[in-house]
Amino acid sequence: MDKVESLANEIYEKYKDYGVDRKEIVEKLKKLLLEFKVPESEAIRTMNNYIIREYKVPREELKEQFTKIGDIKEAGKWVSVKAKVVQLWESGSPSIAQTGLIGDETGVIRFLIWAKANKQPVVEGKSYIFRNVVVDDYGNVLRLNVTRISEIEELKEDIAVKPIEDLREDTEVVGALVAIQQNSGLIQRCGEEGCNRVIKSGKCPVHGKTKWYDDLRIKGVLDDGERTYEVIINEEGVKELTGIDIEKAKKMAEENYDRGAVLEELKKLLLGKYLKVVGSLTPRYLVAKQVEFYRPDIKNEINELLAELEEG
Amino acid sequence: MTVFMKREVARRVFAKELMDSTYAMRDEGEKSPVYILTPLGLKCNRVFIIGALTEKTDVGEDSSIYRIRITDQTGSFVGYIGRFQPEAYDAIAEIDVLNLVAVTAKVRLFEGETRKFVSLRPESISIADAESRDYWVVETAKATIQRIREMERGEGENVKLAREIYGTDVEEYRKAVKEALLRLKEEYTVEEEEEIVEEEEIEEEGDIDFDIEEEEIDLTELLED
Repeated sequence: MDKVESLANEIYEKYKDYGVDRKEIVEKLKKLLLEFKVPESEAIRTMNNYIIREYKVPREELKEQFTKIGDIKEAGKWVSVKAKVVQLWESGSPSIAQTGLIGDETGVIRFLIWAKANKQPVVEGKSYIFRNVVVDDYGNVLRLNVTRISEIEELKEDIAVKPIEDLREDTEVVGALVAIQQNSGLIQRCGEEGCNRVIKSGKCPVHGKTKWYDDLRIKGVLDDGERTYEVIINEEGVKELTGIDIEKAKKMAEENYDRGAVLEELKKLLLGKYLKVVGSLTPRYLVAKQVEFYRPDIKNEINELLAELEEG
Repeated sequence: MTVFMKREVARRVFAKELMDSTYAMRDEGEKSPVYILTPLGLKCNRVFIIGALTEKTDVGEDSSIYRIRITDQTGSFVGYIGRFQPEAYDAIAEIDVLNLVAVTAKVRLFEGETRKFVSLRPESISIADAESRDYWVVETAKATIQRIREMERGEGENVKLAREIYGTDVEEYRKAVKEALLRLKEEYTVEEEEEIVEEEEIEEEGDIDFDIEEEEIDLTELLED
């Protein structure tokens, strides 16, 4: 489909309830883009203004009406939202310029900016108006799509975002554990009331030399080939995967005269393994609540892929 | 909001596609890492692979560099592990050839006198099990099929660039994916005839092309970060 056609479709979809004529849109767009060679964004603005005037799109529709993210419940709707970019993820596809999470005080939602939309990149932590974005459903996850007819406007105000920890829904991630960080294994935490910071060489960064207690955890990177998650697996999870609990870990450390022996063993057992993690996704970490080795039905997967290849 | 470094994703790519690559690129901006552009338009800086460690040779003058070869269902990756990657270096010392290994590695383009080729610089390497390997093949097949689709649609900068540089024939890669999957499928369909399958696999391994000639390489370049 050429550029004019696809652009016309988007505009038509947006205003079709007002009786707009698709052919007319195509003709006008052709004139603007091909004959007058105006920039695409100008052509869109002109078309929007024209339709609003000619078809008497009600004023209240025109007046900025912002949908709260918590109210977005179904695919296919066009909405405008005021939201903050909570996270940017690495785009897995060249056709997607940016993707991640945006949120307001009612919730968060995935968003993507298509490369074809040709927008200035958004910045993590900044707030924007996302105007005329369309909701779609991707694997049961609703997403906001920024297309060519959408607009993104930076806001001076800071939009408060509902803390992600409050969102009850857990995320499920399957990926390979591609790295285990140094401050994993049998670690020491500060014993000061409410501190629990990891301490290094016997010193808490806040409380200095202090009483401490042992803990067992993994801080690592889970990678599904499309994006990475900094994952935290607590003692329970480590035990579930490896059979090593704090007591065993302490014994290993004693026998080897080295706390690092625990980390070495965990690396041997877990690096490069596929894990299925269910947990809460905070802006920085995926905190595992449940973790297991991923064991899919390989035969079934192979057959599906072969069938897909046959389709050509 | 905490600002943190973006970690490069470890892409899933078969040896054939990665080792066919001869083009390196950077994003705009000074701090961009170097990416390899594959014939199917994948831009990658890091990979995760599971395959058989088929060679491990000490090539450093003072025993500080291992040259390794890791073979998957479509071909072989070549990698170098030096002391500058301590985690991988310590691990490889304890792993014998003909084991399945999982490797997370940076990819680099090596520019020799007469030709260019891709080599891996592993960050971590560990023993893998057959089930993980099988899933790696499935995942990698899935990702490759998706790239083939994108190439066929012909949209996207990287896809266009890849086609321009390599004149990619997607059928070649479709065939490689299919063969990889069929090879894996045998394992699951004829479990009762396991012995026969094993024999076949040995034969197939003998067929793998090991004829890549190595050039005289100045290995010091590998140690630069």
